[in-house]
Amino acid sequence: MGKRRSHAIRNVTLAMSLMLVAPISSLSSEEWGRGQAIFNSNCAICHGRDGSGGRGPNLLGSLKHGALNSDIEIVIRNGLPGAAMPKFNLEEEELHALIRYVQSLRHAAPSTLHAGGDRTAGKQLYDSQGCPSCHEIGNEGSTLGPNLTRIGASRSYEYLKTSIVDPSADVPEENRYLKIVTRDGRQFQGMWVNEDSFTVQIRLRDESFASFDKQNLKEVLHEKDSLMPNYRFKDADLKNLLAYLSSLVGAPSPASETQRKRRQR
Amino acid sequence: MRVAILLLAFSGLYRAQATDVTFDRLIHAQQDPGEWLTYWGDYHANRFRDLSQINDQNVAHLRLEWLFQTGGSGAFEAVPLVVDGVMYFTTPDTGIDAIDARSGRLLWRYQYTIPKGAKYCCGTVNRGLAILGRRLFMLTPDTRLLAIDIRNGSLLWNVEVASSKVGAYGGTEAPLIVKDKVVLGTAAGDYGIRGFVDAYEAQTGKRVWRFWTIPASGEPGNETWGGDSWKHGGAATWMTGTYDSELNTVYWGIGNPAPNLYGARRPGDNLYSDSVVALDPDTGKLKWYFQFTPHDTHDYDATETPMLVDLPWQGRIRKLLLEANRNGFFYVLDRETGQFLLAKAFAKQTWAKAIDNKGRPIMAPNIEPTSEGTVVCPQCAGATNWMAPSYNPLTRLFYVNVREGCDIFFSEPPVYKEGTSYWATNFRAEAQEHQAGRVTAIEPLTGETKWKFPLYSSPWAGTLTTAGNLVFAGDEDGYLMALQADTGRLLWKVNTGSRLVTSPVTYQLDGKQYLTMPAGGVVLTFALP
Repeated sequence: MGKRRSHAIRNVTLAMSLMLVAPISSLSSEEWGRGQAIFNSNCAICHGRDGSGGRGPNLLGSLKHGALNSDIEIVIRNGLPGAAMPKFNLEEEELHALIRYVQSLRHAAPSTLHAGGDRTAGKQLYDSQGCPSCHEIGNEGSTLGPNLTRIGASRSYEYLKTSIVDPSADVPEENRYLKIVTRDGRQFQGMWVNEDSFTVQIRLRDESFASFDKQNLKEVLHEKDSLMPNYRFKDADLKNLLAYLSSLVGAPSPASETQRKRRQR
Repeated sequence: MRVAILLLAFSGLYRAQATDVTFDRLIHAQQDPGEWLTYWGDYHANRFRDLSQINDQNVAHLRLEWLFQTGGSGAFEAVPLVVDGVMYFTTPDTGIDAIDARSGRLLWRYQYTIPKGAKYCCGTVNRGLAILGRRLFMLTPDTRLLAIDIRNGSLLWNVEVASSKVGAYGGTEAPLIVKDKVVLGTAAGDYGIRGFVDAYEAQTGKRVWRFWTIPASGEPGNETWGGDSWKHGGAATWMTGTYDSELNTVYWGIGNPAPNLYGARRPGDNLYSDSVVALDPDTGKLKWYFQFTPHDTHDYDATETPMLVDLPWQGRIRKLLLEANRNGFFYVLDRETGQFLLAKAFAKQTWAKAIDNKGRPIMAPNIEPTSEGTVVCPQCAGATNWMAPSYNPLTRLFYVNVREGCDIFFSEPPVYKEGTSYWATNFRAEAQEHQAGRVTAIEPLTGETKWKFPLYSSPWAGTLTTAGNLVFAGDEDGYLMALQADTGRLLWKVNTGSRLVTSPVTYQLDGKQYLTMPAGGVVLTFALP
């Protein structure tokens, strides 16, 4: 019947320190293969085939929601409200094979500690470069761009790095911006908020919402590139900024939660 | 009785209730446009009504007449029946409501409670009821068949269709009445069941026959399943069939083979998965079959509507079967013989190079799902699915809601265990992009697309067409809309506030035409001022 769906993903961990879990003693090759099959077809698209992360977080370091089998089970079963991690409806045995496989990846992984970086210096750079004019952390900053309150928990270190030096490398659909041209020639640009067959809603640079009736529009362009400029930092500065961003693991704002729920409907 | 209704109408008092719904009334449902007597509205599943009070000139004035809150949550996939002024439907939480079709006021409610400990595969979704005599018939999520008294909602009998001990089966569809029998099938093809179509005596609930959708060892067709794979081959029957009373033939769509995306487990064509079967409703014997997707590895169930239309085909009127299939092709068959007449892609598809002159696909290379993922179109949920299409004899067009987009198909060898899902595979939208859709009008004799109306999201709602030169359609973002049937021009729309997952119906009472659409937990009914 094939109505099961999985969704775009993002979430969980923080690769600050490596916390070892119980060694995997009794994983038969059959179980391992089964766990790998489930991981590859359900999880790899966001967490990478080796578990080192992508749009979704690195699973090889410490896990924000706990690294016990029971912690991982809760996250897989229920998903993470407010993050892009959906709940997965797996059979009991599949679930346990999957968890054992994830643990085996973690056990085999080299330390993913990202050395150094000065968070305080990173925060200074963040403020001085004008990042808050587009991004919000807690209640500080603009709501125009993606909220960064828990970006350290929802993206891998490597993904964050790429997002700074090459922001257009991967722009999730909900972070796209739109160029809109009305039939009478006016042009608008803003972040995608919602859309249907007949209307579209965007957030303008001044953070206000604008809504359009599509029959009055000449063009609605969903830009795949990011609005964010490519930043060319010195290595030390980049490391500091990444240290700061990786430390951001706060609760999501209610607004971003609502928006993600809509997307995951 | 009908005269009585008319006379009482003048005094402002409306009778609503309870004449017998005979088999003859069901056969002539399309000539009785004031009612909606079966899931499809008529045995041929045309979903056309010869009503034109609401038409392309005035539909812009359509407004809310009443709405009814069921209080239920979950997907409202039911199509309401309208019989003698009463509307009956299954609610999103396994109840049945009978409401006054003029005012939306509740007349009675029956609540089915799934027994503690019952296991079933496919959630509590239900697509509706069948009616015969003074009885309603409902297939429950735990695969039981109920007969309910239309006068007060009391339970008359409750019989097992399939076991709910291990959770291998599930019931989602509206049953089909043929003569004195209730015909139905089961969901759960992806749980490795062996599918079937059943018939039960409407009077007693006693099973009369069962047609297995996978031939057993020694039966013709069993050789299309390698080894013992036939025992868990799926081929479920989770949508309502259609019926031709002149040919005395039932047409039923058969679901995908299991495991869905892993074909190495089941070498061969896997009959009768992804086929339409023509059955004798008296005996359950197979008359003919046509398989759309042999050895399917993309979950392209053939459970889409097998619509019956009579049209001139190359010079003579022929009894045709039209189907917009999940695999992206629109098919025309001769429904007397099962002969293949036409296939034409109505959506982007990459799995077949062509369809040969027998109707068999010539497969494209490199389309097998793999552990790394393979991009194939249409998407796993199909170019269309169970949402109803419609056919308008005045425009001679077939209207279908189309799902665009492709998926990445992943596949790994699954493990069979009774009562659990038998796939261990998955699929994801290509590049995780938003998947769009459209309402499409197809000329059935050529398969050519006459017009398209774009939808922002891939839809799950069906269409309805009327003599008012209208097509009503729903979309995934909550819009119920009216399009001009011959041109596809948008004439009216309303945001219902909920994704739409069933198909609209229309009926006429006391000279007033109504349009009804379930949305969320609500039944919305519209009329002209």
